[in-house]
Amino acid sequence: MIYYQCPKCQRIWQYPIDECPYCLIPMERKEGKGSKVIGSSKITIGSLNHKKVPYWGIVLEDDKGNKWPHKSMIEKNVGDEITYTANENAVSIWRIKYDPLTAIEETNKLLNFLPNKEDLKVLIIPQLDSPNYSYFRENTSPEFISAIIDFLIKNKIDSDKITVATQSFNQNPIEACAQKSGLLNACTKKGIMPFDLAQSTFVEHDGLEISKAVLDADLVINLPLLKGGESMATKNLFKVLKTNPINQKEAAEKLSTLPNIITIAEAEYTQRPNKTVIFTGLILGGKNTLKLDRIFSELVFHKQLPELVKDIKIEEIETNGRQIEEVRYNIESY
Amino acid sequence: MYIKGVGMTKFDYSPKHWWQFAHEATIEALKDAQMNISQIDAIVFTGMSSAAGGEHQTHKVSFLSDLFKTNVPIIETPSVCGGGGAAFWTALNLLNNYNNVLVLAGERLVDNQSEVTVDYILSAAERVTEQTEGMLFPTQNALVWQQYMKKYGATMDDLSLIAFKNHSNAALNPKAFFYKKPIELEKVKASPEVSSPLRLMDCSLSVNGGAAVIVSKDPTDIKVIGSGFATDQILTFGREDLTHFKATKLASKIAFEQAKLTPKDINVAEIHDAFTSVELLSYEDLGFAEEGKGAELIRSGKINLNGEMPINPSGGLKAKGHPISATGLAQIYEIVNQLRNKCGDRQVKNAKIGLTHNIGGAGGSVTVHIFEKIN
Repeated sequence: MIYYQCPKCQRIWQYPIDECPYCLIPMERKEGKGSKVIGSSKITIGSLNHKKVPYWGIVLEDDKGNKWPHKSMIEKNVGDEITYTANENAVSIWRIKYDPLTAIEETNKLLNFLPNKEDLKVLIIPQLDSPNYSYFRENTSPEFISAIIDFLIKNKIDSDKITVATQSFNQNPIEACAQKSGLLNACTKKGIMPFDLAQSTFVEHDGLEISKAVLDADLVINLPLLKGGESMATKNLFKVLKTNPINQKEAAEKLSTLPNIITIAEAEYTQRPNKTVIFTGLILGGKNTLKLDRIFSELVFHKQLPELVKDIKIEEIETNGRQIEEVRYNIESY
Repeated sequence: MYIKGVGMTKFDYSPKHWWQFAHEATIEALKDAQMNISQIDAIVFTGMSSAAGGEHQTHKVSFLSDLFKTNVPIIETPSVCGGGGAAFWTALNLLNNYNNVLVLAGERLVDNQSEVTVDYILSAAERVTEQTEGMLFPTQNALVWQQYMKKYGATMDDLSLIAFKNHSNAALNPKAFFYKKPIELEKVKASPEVSSPLRLMDCSLSVNGGAAVIVSKDPTDIKVIGSGFATDQILTFGREDLTHFKATKLASKIAFEQAKLTPKDINVAEIHDAFTSVELLSYEDLGFAEEGKGAELIRSGKINLNGEMPINPSGGLKAKGHPISATGLAQIYEIVNQLRNKCGDRQVKNAKIGLTHNIGGAGGSVTVHIFEKIN
């Protein structure tokens, strides 16, 4: 697991803090290897947000002696190892636990989405729909876009090779959305000036009018903020097109075939259909946005599936990482 | 620092408001102290739940000002299950500036809005890392107990003896939920598992109730001779030692040093048995047993009501009931009445020195207090 240690006094925190309160110096971010089960308890009576039983509450330990809790829907015994293998075609499911950067790193381990190539050119498509502060959870959050940029820089991608761009499909000016949401500030702090994708050149590709910037990039990261009752991963990816498509399902399927596009979807906090926000602590990833949106609906217990994904059978979607039942959270429970 | 009066409501499922429990307990404490509210110089309140009864109140100090028609300073010290002990510790420290301080709690937890109540109780633990992983209190404590059993060889039968002891004591306590309702040992052993290996009968019972204590500079028959308070990290599995609660060890060390006593000097104790396993490992954390030898203490019978040093004569959280913040003050109520020889059928013989031990969360905050009967 990722942990934070003071290089002087050696104290450890399991969540990110900047400076040690004893030594007043910057912390070091470290990683322990392995996830070995050292304790396992079978829970047979359901409780709030964990109604499906039995499940197993287990304690994992890494090679540095860090311990943390983990829920499993299948029996795990002391001595077992929890491991995951990368699957580029699956929808990845992971948890954000205070630290979006760690969640993005784990998502990359599950999807292996970062190409091994020098001078990689990356285009990030954040969600910018409304000129509101980030706590409304209508736009990609500043902390999430900061984390994705940090992740890319950490993987030796120069900031001048990273582009952040999107466009507005509604009446809200994209500049106002970027400014009020805090995204503009988050990007400029990293030395990146976002631009309006509407100003780019669009070219014909597979029957779609698509931004040339997308085709020129080695990697396009669709960065939606998932919302209850919506198909935000799919809808945000349409921003690479000249206009919002009429046949959305067909457009989504075609975009999913582009090999350089990956979706990393933020769902740490989720806006519900009534616009209130609830903590869900999730991050999803995958190439196919329709499948990703369908999984999200399943995770948050939507009774009525969004139109775009209502025909997709959940049992036919391959997932990787956390199991659906491990992390399901009924966002209508309060 | 002295105790002038104590009060406590019956612990049950009465549908009173939180403030009615607090009021009832306060009136008993005032009468016990032969005082009225005008002689109270400050109030410390502790509570967490007021979800039931249509009144979710986060400005209880003002509510209490009206309830008692007083304008003295009132502060609130929420610390969930450890709230009573933390409020009492705070009140003792206020005696530097005030003469008589009322400490009180009132909780209405059990209601048909069970999900709201559960959510309130879960606020005593960490959400993002632990609760999202289904790590609720029974599971946290089950996993701690697993580690303990593996390390020291204790058994579930040892926990059965603790549950049986506390239920037997509660059957003699008119204010306990399980008053006149003793439970057979075999029923404890046969109770269903909640989170393996802990069973239903290893878990304490959430109830409604209130408790109050009046502390004073003025000498009375009950002196507070030790007061320890310590905290530890909220992530249960981030701690160095999974089998014991460091905060209990630290708080008891402070309390015993202040009292200039050792664990052998204690005649009666109320221990925080939110789970039977917590009572057992607390025997060791408090110094009543050597590390790894807690099971021998319950097997010996020394801590039964007729033993050398009875533990939880009230029935404990297990069988008296656990109205979260009121618990720490209810423990003091029991010890004060034991030292005053007022406990009827469950009276501990010749009790002169008593101890209370109150935990918030899964070992996250702990208070230990030691009381002496002054002749």
